[in-house]
Amino acid sequence: MKLEILPWLILFLPLVAAGWITLFTLRNQKLSVGLSIGAVVTGFVLSVLFVAVNPLTPAPQELSLNWLSIGEFQVQFGLRLDPLSLLMMLVVTGVAGVIHIYSWGYMRGDRGISRYFACLSLFTFSMLGIVLANNFLQLFIFWELVGVSSYLLIGFWYEKPAAADAGKKAFITNRLGDFGFILGILTVWAALGSLNFGVLAEKLGANREALGGAATLAGLLIFCGAVGKSAQFPLHVWLPDAMEGPTPVSALIHAATMVAAGVYMLCRVFFLLNAGALEIIAWIGGFTALISALMAIQQNDIKRILAYSTLSQLGYMVMAVGLHGPTPAMFHLTTHAFFKALLFLGAGSVIIACHHEQDIWKMGGLGRKMPVTFWTFLAGTLALAGVWPLSGFFSKDAILAEAFERHHYALFALGVMVALLTTFYMFRLVFVVFFRPARAEPAGHAVESPQVMLWPLRILATLSIVGGVISLDHYYRLQFEPAAVGAALSWTAQLTHPFAHAPVPAAFGLAAALAGFACAWLLYRRADVDPLPARLGPVARAMRDRFYFDELYQATVIRAHDFIATIADWADRWLIAGLVVRGTHGTTELIGRALRLVQTGNLQTYAFLFALGVAFVLWWVLG
Amino acid sequence: MSPLTYILGWPFLAALALVFIPRNYRVVIRAIAVAATFLSAVLALKMFAQFAGAPAGASGYRFEQVVPWVKALGISYYVGVDGINAGLVLMAAIVAFAAACASWDVQHREKEFYILLLVMAGGILGAFASLDLFFFYIFHEFALVPTFLMIGLWGRGEQKNYATFQITLYLTVGSLIVLVGLIALYLQSGLGTFSIPALVAHFRQNPMPLGAQQFIFPLLLFGFGILVSLWPFHSWAPPGYGAAPSATAMLHAGALKKFGLYGLIRIALPIMPEAAREWMPVLAWLCLGNLLYCGWVAMKQRDFNWLVGYSSVAHMGFVFLGIATLTPLGLTGAVLVMVAHGFLAALTFGLNGYIHRQTGTLEMAQLGGLLRRLPFIGAALMMAAFAGCGLPGFANFAGEITVFFGAWKVYPVVTVLACWGALIVGAVYMLRAVRVVMHGPLPERWAEVPDAPHFWRKLPFLALLAGLLVFGCFPRLLTDRIQAGLASVLPAPPIALTEAIEPVNSTAPLAGPTSFEPERPMVPAGMTVRE
Repeated sequence: MKLEILPWLILFLPLVAAGWITLFTLRNQKLSVGLSIGAVVTGFVLSVLFVAVNPLTPAPQELSLNWLSIGEFQVQFGLRLDPLSLLMMLVVTGVAGVIHIYSWGYMRGDRGISRYFACLSLFTFSMLGIVLANNFLQLFIFWELVGVSSYLLIGFWYEKPAAADAGKKAFITNRLGDFGFILGILTVWAALGSLNFGVLAEKLGANREALGGAATLAGLLIFCGAVGKSAQFPLHVWLPDAMEGPTPVSALIHAATMVAAGVYMLCRVFFLLNAGALEIIAWIGGFTALISALMAIQQNDIKRILAYSTLSQLGYMVMAVGLHGPTPAMFHLTTHAFFKALLFLGAGSVIIACHHEQDIWKMGGLGRKMPVTFWTFLAGTLALAGVWPLSGFFSKDAILAEAFERHHYALFALGVMVALLTTFYMFRLVFVVFFRPARAEPAGHAVESPQVMLWPLRILATLSIVGGVISLDHYYRLQFEPAAVGAALSWTAQLTHPFAHAPVPAAFGLAAALAGFACAWLLYRRADVDPLPARLGPVARAMRDRFYFDELYQATVIRAHDFIATIADWADRWLIAGLVVRGTHGTTELIGRALRLVQTGNLQTYAFLFALGVAFVLWWVLG
Repeated sequence: MSPLTYILGWPFLAALALVFIPRNYRVVIRAIAVAATFLSAVLALKMFAQFAGAPAGASGYRFEQVVPWVKALGISYYVGVDGINAGLVLMAAIVAFAAACASWDVQHREKEFYILLLVMAGGILGAFASLDLFFFYIFHEFALVPTFLMIGLWGRGEQKNYATFQITLYLTVGSLIVLVGLIALYLQSGLGTFSIPALVAHFRQNPMPLGAQQFIFPLLLFGFGILVSLWPFHSWAPPGYGAAPSATAMLHAGALKKFGLYGLIRIALPIMPEAAREWMPVLAWLCLGNLLYCGWVAMKQRDFNWLVGYSSVAHMGFVFLGIATLTPLGLTGAVLVMVAHGFLAALTFGLNGYIHRQTGTLEMAQLGGLLRRLPFIGAALMMAAFAGCGLPGFANFAGEITVFFGAWKVYPVVTVLACWGALIVGAVYMLRAVRVVMHGPLPERWAEVPDAPHFWRKLPFLALLAGLLVFGCFPRLLTDRIQAGLASVLPAPPIALTEAIEPVNSTAPLAGPTSFEPERPMVPAGMTVRE
């Protein structure tokens, strides 16, 4: 392998930038911004160079050193370079680079901008660490580090109580998932004696039953990690709240990369998951996709709509993994990174133009005032809705085809339903925000954003449009089905491939998109207030209130844990510190008082006691 | 002379020197205290760096020095380190330096304060470096008595007197129980020597009768346990640390408290392996009292110092769990957590002390939004909170994860519950504290609170953070040394351990059992490449 120093550089450059900013240049905002952007853009260039020099092949390469080695507990710090990690490295550095540049425009004037870029660089480092990790524990380490950078960035405006609370909620909810994840890692390690992905795959390849009866349990425990990080039901509640962070953060962390890390991890350890675990994974993914699409329909905050849409698309990817399809899952993850980052950045552009107004019903008519934002946003919307020939169509179709081929018709129907809902809520958003006259003052004065924010939109829009026909699925197939992979198709062949290969899912997908668009057209083309609450009544309210999951958790899990803590506190205060310790204290004092009676001050008494003592000692020693 | 003698000697010498300095030479007094502890810390760092290259004595200890003292009883001044206490000495020296630096807020009777502080620091370093039972114990007492005095005289809060009373009573009782155990041990051996290596070697050849083990081991377990706030003997810790001046809390919670754990590992386990095996399941369940129960109690605290106190008690659970496994893996993790928690506890109590000094309260309901005014202190406190909830990158994570891997096969149920304590309960109370103290809007009354103004105020915190980060990112600096040291501790050293002793003096990475075939020779940068 050539230039093997490059992956190390790519990984550590952002860390160096983060450390340098924190230690030395917090006061020099321009330099901080430059360092952070420079690190990630250099990382992207080097990634391209590395992949150009070392063509993608199915054989994995590893670079590693020993991080911890105690007897049978061997942990490497290593990089695993295979098509999966290299493509993700390109996606992460590329999307992060674009978003870094956008942030420069978006965060201009904020006094904490140096801190912002330090955290962003820390995040980029941690995310690259997840992507490149060659063993479970290293993955877990970076898993926690993305968690903490996400915490810091959600709570970036920490003086706002909502932001501070949202960061805390995200971290703790993620920790719940990680609790299962670490137990899963322990189970796998205890059964197979290694943490390295390559070794584990070899061992399981040699003996499918090596995990024995723990196989399903281990798979599900590891899946817990993905449930937390990728915000799947029942731990999905943190992601919408995470929208309190700055919008570029939502684009990078809570749409394109970190939340997708759960899906990436599942694909990375796909060899570990058995059929039983995969079935449950598929259903959880499908269920998340459906409920969050329903919740998205009745949200009014532009970022929250996108957040629920992210939840729903993540559910789609998890469902794809559960349907034995890591290739379509990763394909959709990649295209989703392009168009969802684009949508969030477009939303950010809108929010800035409307002076930080996020309620879509106070916007309107922005299409004419912000043409670049509008057209790129529309491209993203069409890609997300799965309209041929944009990228989303191909990746979504691959998932539907997977369900169809596996004869999993229930999940296939669910997938089509979600596709319909997706188009519906996205065009609701587009109609309300960009058409009709402005409904509030700020939207009336909106102007287009500066070029530093528009170029990232143009770049991501291009990727969202062509992402489906640049052989992404071919390269992912190199990773997961090296035996079945043929030559890469030309882009024209890729354009028509779905219709030739699996016409039924393609037709269903397009019909769903069309139906969703038609509904949105009918209901929202001329709407100035949302017509749905009046028509659906309590159902609409339940959707708006997220089906009351937050309230449910508050009333059960959180209250129960709090109750236990209260009991423990009470016991500590009154039983251990109170009764036992103060009791001993009291007893001692009582004995002291009793003994004081002996201190009579009478010489004869003392002499008598002394003689008694001597006699006792003599008896003890001699007798 | 052994560098260890210098390391523990400088603080004592400085304390002696302070006696002769007039009390109004405040700057000089402080400078001497800081300089002496700084010297100790630098020497300890040098000792730690040279550890691998130093020749090991007959019983495996390095930097040994023996000066016979009371020949009739077999007492000698005997210091030396192996992998287990090398890290502890380094940690204690750095904590002592940080504590001396952070004592700028003491405004009255400085002379006495610094004398006591130096005696305490010297005592701690002596206790960790001594290989003679007598000195091991006496040095600990040297450190313990100043603790009580400092809390009583320079302490704060309404409950100061009761807290002093409680901590004195508890710790005295604990060390008395230990004393009884140690004397019984001495008598049982019949060797007439207090040398720990000699006693260990003796009892390895001629195992102690089971009856005697069953008598002595619980004495040491619970005696040392009380000193380390083993549940349910923990209730002295939060009020004690809450009332203590910050330097005392830093030294005690950070360094001195590890004495009990160190004693268990150094003395109780190797000498009484059978009794240890009987008692360890009990310890494993008791550790949940620390990890879970004290974690829950910490969730409910209203005073920030009490919260940190309970969290410090909770962290001891990891060490107990590691010890209870009686495996090289678990014990290595336990020692790693001891070092990590030393830095962490000193850091949090130091930062708390700073905030208390500036605001006059640590009542969480009254604080809030301080990060805006205290960027440095706040950032350090947040890092401490992250270290406290086991975030990778900090030494605590490396230790905790090693303990979990060590304990998983021995006590699976306990490990699951301990993971809950570490990942969930720890995160809940730590982040709640950060949320309440640092985040949110800044109340009007704290609008003028000043941040650490210059480098000297920041230095103690930077030193402690550096310790946490260096050992967190490169845990092998400690684990390779610890593993070699454990050979003398574990009842029946497993065969795998002999292989693990090798890497001590090479920094080049090993090709562990998990490396692949075919393998290329190692690349100079220290990477193994697989193709």
